[in-house]
Amino acid sequence: MKFKRLKKLTELYGISGFEEPISEFIENEIKNIVDEYWKDEVGNLIAHKKGKKSNRGRLMLLAHMDEVGLMVKKINKDGTLAITNIGGVDPRVVMGKKVKIGEELKDGIIGYKAIHEQKREELLKTPKYDKLCVYAGHEKEDDAKSEFNVGDPIFFDTQYKEIGNYAIGKAFDDRNGCEVLIKIIEYLQENPVDYDVFFAWVVQEEVGLRGSGVAASQIEPDAAIVFEGTTAGDNPELAESRWAAKIGQGPVLTYAHRGLVPDRKIFDVIKEAAKKHNIPHQFKGRTAGGTDAARLARTLRGIPAGVISTSARYIHSPMCVMSLNDFNNTIKLGQTLITEGKVLSK
Amino acid sequence: MKELIKKLTEISSPSGREDSIREIIISEIKDHVDEYKVDNLGSVIALKKGTSGKKILFDGHMDEIGLVVTNIDDKGFLRVESVGGVSPYILLGSHLRFENDVTGVVGVESETMKDAGKNIKELNYDLLYVDIGAVNKEDAEKKISVGTFGTYDSRFYDLGKRLVSKAMDDRIACAIMIQAIKEIEKPKDDIYFAFTVQEEVGLVGASVAGFDIKPDMAIALDVTAGPDTPKGFKRMGFKLGGGPTIKIKDMASISASSVVSKLKSVAEKNNIPYQYEILIFGGTNAKGYQTTGAGIPSGTVSIPCRYVHSPHEMVDYDDVLNSVKLLKSVAKEEV
Repeated sequence: MKFKRLKKLTELYGISGFEEPISEFIENEIKNIVDEYWKDEVGNLIAHKKGKKSNRGRLMLLAHMDEVGLMVKKINKDGTLAITNIGGVDPRVVMGKKVKIGEELKDGIIGYKAIHEQKREELLKTPKYDKLCVYAGHEKEDDAKSEFNVGDPIFFDTQYKEIGNYAIGKAFDDRNGCEVLIKIIEYLQENPVDYDVFFAWVVQEEVGLRGSGVAASQIEPDAAIVFEGTTAGDNPELAESRWAAKIGQGPVLTYAHRGLVPDRKIFDVIKEAAKKHNIPHQFKGRTAGGTDAARLARTLRGIPAGVISTSARYIHSPMCVMSLNDFNNTIKLGQTLITEGKVLSK
Repeated sequence: MKELIKKLTEISSPSGREDSIREIIISEIKDHVDEYKVDNLGSVIALKKGTSGKKILFDGHMDEIGLVVTNIDDKGFLRVESVGGVSPYILLGSHLRFENDVTGVVGVESETMKDAGKNIKELNYDLLYVDIGAVNKEDAEKKISVGTFGTYDSRFYDLGKRLVSKAMDDRIACAIMIQAIKEIEKPKDDIYFAFTVQEEVGLVGASVAGFDIKPDMAIALDVTAGPDTPKGFKRMGFKLGGGPTIKIKDMASISASSVVSKLKSVAEKNNIPYQYEILIFGGTNAKGYQTTGAGIPSGTVSIPCRYVHSPHEMVDYDDVLNSVKLLKSVAKEEV
């Protein structure tokens, strides 16, 4: 196992609004190697590594703790649980999967009509969420109500595994960013810099970039780097020109995305650092989808930010695949940028 | 003023790549303002000092819609995605200009006659490509790289009373503000002029431009649809040449009633024609100011414009001159 802590991070359960297990875990990892840290009112975890010199600027590194998932919407007469999605989840990817329900993590499954019961026309049709439900061991509404409540979170239940140079698991969007930040703190222990570095593990990105603006308002950074998990989309049936990114080709750099064209100078600094240090990298081939950088630009006096992502196939599903080489290179690129310090002096 | 409009609109400078338009704006205003700065995101904010102790802010966005290169294939064809709202139907067949002045034309895929019909009917960015005249990938990569931004490549046309250009949205507001800056003498209030970035991708610059200024009133200047065309939107009643519009509402904001009545009274007092505007789609930077800090009373003055977000956006020159007059008249009074 190359990334033991990434395994732990991705196996933790924390959809948007229920990030506490993740922030607790990260807090334990960092509490002895940062100068100060705090949790804010909305659940963001913020840490500070002081620079060797004062007044050399403040850089913010950001990743989101939440993952996409589901929520109990209603308890049905037959004891099953009606569900709704939290963040973008294609109903097709949850069918036939095991889930954990509520903060006590009870077991359940999302079944669907067996192939024998489906008519030909039905087979390839995507059911909407109102046709899907969680079976959690109850046959009656009252029995289910004694154990579950409307609003209980439902989590994907997937173990992290490494297969050769690849990792499979859930929540690569964005627990891998969370791990990159911890790795950078550890790196700073050995390689301190002059300026102040702030780390923000934020909540509720997947439901509309809700945590990052609040975190940035407390930090008041001069610039930021967002570490993300992003779509690979290197499906063989699509022409290469339509891929968002290809796993194994290195960290993904973003020149434009929904709601923002990220700061050009920071983009150039990141690109040049990757080139200079021979870190493989690629550019995001699709501009759909946004990141917390879009929120940061609209916060305080406007915080310029760069975006670096590790791509994964099948993101926003219980089963994702990413390249460990890519992940390693994202960490390396992050550490390189911190030592260079050019993101601040742009 | 037509020369100024030509100069501002023929520059290619889309959202996030406002460097060249910023340079021109600064060179036009620097000798006519008390101070100016470029903020964190690249917006230019200039000040003409008044005496009343109050502050008013005018906003016009300096970015324009555009495109960005997302892929270069083995034969040297480019794939692009839009920066802001660019319809694939209007893009097809157009001429583009990228950074470094590389130009190209837009074509559509189709392997069969059946495809040709179907693809036009269901046109989308996956079916479009840009041909920059490269013979292969290597040749293309010498000229351009993934992540390069571009815009429509079209000229400014002076049709007399009507003017046409690719970027009336919103360089016409930049021109009006620059002209007002040059003509306003001794304003009552401190007047801030914010030439903001990245409006077209989601009101980015205007979301933060007022943060430190905290003006008593903010007025966005933008284009609005010109519905007085054959079978134009019948639910909207304003027209080209009827004067600048005072916006009541659109999909992003409802103008503060204090701003609407102020503009109305100033227009009437100075015999400036105006129209009321209710837009059933779209939004302006007014929203950015309304939601800044504790909230800034905000509204929008629009210049009616036909063929918005096309290579040939048309405005009426009298509307432009009357907008300058309106700004100057507002400057003579206290907020």
